[in-house]
Amino acid sequence: MSNSLRALLGFGTFAILLYLVGEYQSWNVALAILNLCIISGVMALGVNIQWGYAGLFNVGIMGFAALGGVAAVLVSQPVIEAAWAAGGSGVLISGVMLLIVIGLGFFTAKRLQAGWFRTLSMVVIILGGYFAIRQVYDPAVLAIEADNPAKSGYLGGLGMPIILSWIVGGLFAAGVAWIIGKISLGLRSDYLAIATLGISEILIAMMKNEDWLTRGVKNVTGLSRPVPYELAIQDNPRFIEWVEWFNSSQLAGFTGEAKVAALRSLVVEGSSIFVKLCYAGLFLSVLVIVLILCVTALASPWGRMVRAIRDNEVSAAAMGKNITRRHLQIFVLGSAVVGIAGAMLTTLDGQFTPSTYQPLRYTFLIWVMVIVGGSGNNLGSVLGAFLIWFIWIEAEPAGNWLMQYATQWMEEGSGLKRHLLDSAQHMRLFIMGVVMLTVMRFSPGGILPERTNTTTIKA
Amino acid sequence: MKKLLLASTILAGLTGAAFADGHEVKMGVILGFTGPIESLTPDMAAAAELAMKETAGKVLDGKTVVSVRADSTCTDAAAATAAAERLITAEGVVGIMGADCSGVTTAIANNVGVPNGVTMVSPSATSPALTTIEDKGFFFRTAPSDARQGQVLADVLKDKGITKVAVTYTNNDYGKGLAEAFGAAFKATGGEIAISAAHEDGKADYSAEVGALSAAGAEHLAVFGYVDQGGKGIIQTSLDTGAFDKFILADGMIGESLIKNIGKDLEGTIGTLPGSESDGAAKFKEVATAGGLAKNDGPFMPESYDAAALMILAMEAAKSTDRAAIQSKMMDVANAPGEKILPGELAKALEILKSGGQVDYEGASNVTMTEVGEAAGSYKELVVKDGKFETVKVR
Amino acid sequence: MIDFLNALTLFANFVLIPGLAYGSQLALGALGITLLYGILRFGNFAHGDTMAFGTMTVVLITWYFQSIGISFGPLPTALLALPFGIALTALFLILSDKLVYKHYREVKAPPIRMVMASVGVMFVMNGVVRFIIGPNDQNFMDGERFIMKARAFKNATGLNEGLAIKSSQLLTVVIAIVLVSALFWFLNKTRTGKSMRAFSDNEDLALLSGISPQRVVLVTWILVGALATVAGVLYGLDKSFKPFTYFQLLLPMFAAAIVGGVGHPVGAILGGFVVAFSEVTVTYAYKKFLTYLLPTEYAPDGLMQLLSTDYKFAVSFIILVVVLLVKPTGLLKGKVI
Repeated sequence: MSNSLRALLGFGTFAILLYLVGEYQSWNVALAILNLCIISGVMALGVNIQWGYAGLFNVGIMGFAALGGVAAVLVSQPVIEAAWAAGGSGVLISGVMLLIVIGLGFFTAKRLQAGWFRTLSMVVIILGGYFAIRQVYDPAVLAIEADNPAKSGYLGGLGMPIILSWIVGGLFAAGVAWIIGKISLGLRSDYLAIATLGISEILIAMMKNEDWLTRGVKNVTGLSRPVPYELAIQDNPRFIEWVEWFNSSQLAGFTGEAKVAALRSLVVEGSSIFVKLCYAGLFLSVLVIVLILCVTALASPWGRMVRAIRDNEVSAAAMGKNITRRHLQIFVLGSAVVGIAGAMLTTLDGQFTPSTYQPLRYTFLIWVMVIVGGSGNNLGSVLGAFLIWFIWIEAEPAGNWLMQYATQWMEEGSGLKRHLLDSAQHMRLFIMGVVMLTVMRFSPGGILPERTNTTTIKA
Repeated sequence: MKKLLLASTILAGLTGAAFADGHEVKMGVILGFTGPIESLTPDMAAAAELAMKETAGKVLDGKTVVSVRADSTCTDAAAATAAAERLITAEGVVGIMGADCSGVTTAIANNVGVPNGVTMVSPSATSPALTTIEDKGFFFRTAPSDARQGQVLADVLKDKGITKVAVTYTNNDYGKGLAEAFGAAFKATGGEIAISAAHEDGKADYSAEVGALSAAGAEHLAVFGYVDQGGKGIIQTSLDTGAFDKFILADGMIGESLIKNIGKDLEGTIGTLPGSESDGAAKFKEVATAGGLAKNDGPFMPESYDAAALMILAMEAAKSTDRAAIQSKMMDVANAPGEKILPGELAKALEILKSGGQVDYEGASNVTMTEVGEAAGSYKELVVKDGKFETVKVR
Repeated sequence: MIDFLNALTLFANFVLIPGLAYGSQLALGALGITLLYGILRFGNFAHGDTMAFGTMTVVLITWYFQSIGISFGPLPTALLALPFGIALTALFLILSDKLVYKHYREVKAPPIRMVMASVGVMFVMNGVVRFIIGPNDQNFMDGERFIMKARAFKNATGLNEGLAIKSSQLLTVVIAIVLVSALFWFLNKTRTGKSMRAFSDNEDLALLSGISPQRVVLVTWILVGALATVAGVLYGLDKSFKPFTYFQLLLPMFAAAIVGGVGHPVGAILGGFVVAFSEVTVTYAYKKFLTYLLPTEYAPDGLMQLLSTDYKFAVSFIILVVVLLVKPTGLLKGKVI
C-alpha cells in the first residue's frame, strides 16, 4: 500500500472516529479531543525531528513542554508591582551573580592548566559563588513570596498577549536544550536519555518550588486567552442572531417561552463550540506551519545530510560533517517545537499547574505516538499523535465498558469483580505498551514509514 | 459539516438537561477516583448519592436525581476538564457535585462549568484562591476555605500554650496554601514557625525531610498532608527516628486508617476537621448508617452529602431542572429565613418548597453560605484518645 | 564530650544509618542495570518496574503465607517468600526476552532500539503491576520492627539524642553483602560466570571459543531478576511498597550505575553509596549538629542546609552530570565486567 493511501486511510479513520464521538457523545467532547490531538501532533513533530531525523533519544519531553507552560505564565500574567518592589532587585542581582560565577568558572577551566590547583579553584569558585548568591537570593525570594501569598506571591509576568508565549516557549525550550546538548551530546547515545530524563524531573521540581517565578504548586490560574470568552459571546446579540439563523429550522417547532429556552441552550452550547473552533483554528495553523517547515527541511540538502549522519555516523564524519554540531542543532530545534506545543497546551488549559507534568503522560505517551505513527515521517508522527491521543482519552469509557461486559457473568458483589472493575483504568498503560512493542516489532517504520527518495533497486 | 455540527448540538440539547422529560435528572459527581485522594473519594461519592437516594421519586413531582460519576484525577487539569466536558455536554447533567482538589476544581470551573452555566458545589476544594475566581456565581463550596482553618489551628495551639512548631505540608496548592495561612495566623498570635518545609507525596522515604524538620528545634510537628500519602510517611519516620512524638494534624490527615497504621504512639495528637457536633452531624451518622454506607464519619462525607442535597433543594425551589434556575436558588435554600433542615429531612424540605415555603438547609455540616458562595465553616478540635479521634470542642 | 557524643548520635541516626540502608538498596538495583548493560548492552528502563513486579509477587506470596499461618519468627515473612518471588520474576523476564529483546539481538539492532523496547516493556509492567495489586501503598513488613528504639537508646545512655535502628535496615545491609559476595564468587569462580565475563568483554571471541550465547542470556536474566527482586523487597520492607515510587527509583539507580562506571559491578556498588550519601548529606540541616559541636556563641541561626529537601532527587542527577563532564567513564573505568 502506498504511503499516501495509508495516510488517507489513517486520517479518514480518525475523522470517522471523531464524527462518531460528536454524534454519540457530544461535539464539545469531540472538539476537545481534536484540540489536544493537534497539540500532541506538534509535540510529536518535535520528537520526530530528534528521533526520526537524527536518532536522538530524548526522554525529557515533559520538561520542555513545561517550559512552554512557564512561558505562557511569564508572558501573559500582569506585572505585580508590589512583588517587584519587594524583591525584584534581589532576584535580578542574584541572576547577575550567577552569570559572573559561571563566567569565572569557565575562565578558570579554560585558562588554567589541569591539575590540583585548577580543581581547587573551581571548587572554591562554585561553592563560594553558591553561598554568596544565596545570601542575596534567599531574602529576596522570601520577600516576594510573602507579598499577598494567597493570591499572588510571585513576580507576575509581562502582561502581553498570551499568543506571544508560543514563540517565547519555543525559545525557552531551545535555550535549555542547548545547555543539555552541550553537556551530553558528545557522550554515548543512551546517556542522553538518562540526562534528559533527569533534567526534565529537575525542571519540574524547580517549577514546583520556586514560587517567586511561577507560584509553584499554588498554580497560576485564569490565564488570559487568545480567543473570546464563552460568556462574552453568549451575550453578544450578533452571535445569538447567528445561532438563531443557523438553527431556524429546528427552532421553528417551538414558540414563546419554549423557544427562548431552546435558543438559550443552543447559544450556550454553541458558544462553547465556537471557542473550541477558534482554538482549533489557531492550533491547526501552528501545526500546518511546523509541518510544512519540517517537510521542507527534510527534503532539503540539510535534511539529506542529517539522515546520512543518522544512518552512518562514521562515513558522514569521513565526509567532513560535524556530527556533534548537527546533533546539537537538531536537538535544539526539536525541543523548541515541543516548547511551542507546551505553551499552546497551557494556553488551552487556562492555567499552569506544575504537578500535572508526569513522565508517563508527557514523555512516554508522546514517544508512543511517534513510534506508532512513523518515525522519520512527519505526517506519520502527526497521524500517530491523533490516533494515540484519541485512544488515550476514549480508553477510559471503553475500558470500563469492556470490564463491565467481561464481568457480567460474575456474581454481584464478588471481590474479584470489584477488583477487575476498579482496575480497568490501569489497562490503559498496558495497552499502550503492547501497541508500542507490537508496532516496533512488526512494523518498525510505524503506520506511515519513512519515505526515501532513492530509487529502489530490485534485487 | 458545520450544519451537522450544530444540528447535532441541538439534538444533544434536546435530550439533555433543559428539556429532560423522563423521570430521571442527572447530576455529575466529579471526584478524584484515581490519584492522591483516591482512598477518600468513594465514601464522598457514596454520601452524595445518599442524598439522591433519599429524595428518589420525590423531586419535582416524581423525578429522581441520579448520579453520573467521573474521575477528576485530582492533579491532571486536562483530564478533569475532559471529564467535566463529557458530563456537561454529553450526559447533560444539571449540576455538578465536585470537584475535589483545588487545582482541578479551578480548571473545571473556568473552562467548562462557568461557560456552560452549570452550578458546581465542591465538598472539599479548600484553597483560599477559589474565593476570588471569576465564577459568575456558579461556584459554591460546602467546605470552608483554608484561610479559616489556618486561623482555627493557630487558636487551638495558642490555647494549648504551644509557641513553637515545625510545619510540613504536602507540596500542592492545598498544603502550601494551608501552611501559609496557618503561618500568618500563628505568627499573629505570637507563635514561632521553626521551619516550614514541603514533602512530596508518593515518595518511599522521608528521612531527609524529617531530619531537616527535627534540626530546627521545635517539639511539635504540624502535618498538613494526606492521611494515606506522604503525611503518613512523615509521621511514621518521625516516630521511628525519635524526631517528634507530638503532632498537629489538619483535615486531610484525619482518618481512622492513620491510627490503625501507626498505633498507640499517636496518643495526644491534636487535629482540626471541618464540621460540627451539631444535631446535623449526629443526624448524618444515623442517616449514613441506615443508608448502608461503609462509613458514617469519613472526611468530607458530610460536605458531600450537603453539596448534593443543596442542589436538589435548589432544583425544587426553582421548580425546574434548568441549570441557571438552580443556580439562582442556591443561596435561598442554604441560608435563613426558612425552616431548618437536617440530614434525613430532605423529603420534608421538598414538601415545604413545593407548597411555596422556604427552607434554611443546615445539613450535616451546618451550612451557611457567605455571599461568595462558600461555607463560613465551623471546625471540630480533635484529640487522639484511647486510639480514637475524639472531639474536644467546636470552633 | 557529651556534646560530641550527642552530635555523633544525631549524625548516625539521621545520616549514617538511613544512608547505609538506602545505599545498599540502590547498589543492588544498580548492579542489575550494570549487569544487563555489560552483557546485553542496553540500559534497561524497565528495571524500576521489574523491581516493582518482583516485590509484588513477594507481597502476594507473603500474604498467602500469612493467611495459612506461616511466619518466620522475628524476621519478616517476606524473606521466606523471596525465592518464589525471584523465580516468578526471572520467568517473567525470560518471557519478555523471548517476546521482545531476542528479536532485536538477532537483527543486531542499535542499542538505542533495545532501550526503546525496554520503555515499551516498562509500560506493560507498569500496567500489569497496577492491575494486579493496585496503585496503593502496601505494607508487608511483619516480625520485629526495631532492633533499637530511639527512646530506649536515650534512656540507656542518658544522651539527648536517640538512635533508632530498624531491623529492616540491618537486614538490608546484611543481605546486600551476602548477595553481592555470592554474585562476585559466581562471576569470578564458576564456569558460567567466567563465560559471562568473557561474553561481556568480547562477544565474538567468546562465541568463537564455544560459549553458548543463549545460556549467557538466560543466566543474565535470572541474575537480574534475583537482584531486582531482592532490592525491591528490601526497599519495600524498609519503607513501603508502592508501584510509582519504584518507577522513580530508576533515576538514582541509573545515576549510581553510571557514576560507578557502567558495566562495572564494583562501580555499581560504589555508585549506589555515593548517590545515597550525597542525597542525605546535602539535604540534611546541620543546625542541631553544629550547635552541639560549636561553642554556644558560634551556634548557627539558620538551618545550615545546603539544599532544600525539595531538590533531594536532583542531587543524584547533579552528581551524574558532574561525573559525565569530568570523568565520562565513571569513577571506576566502566564497560568491563
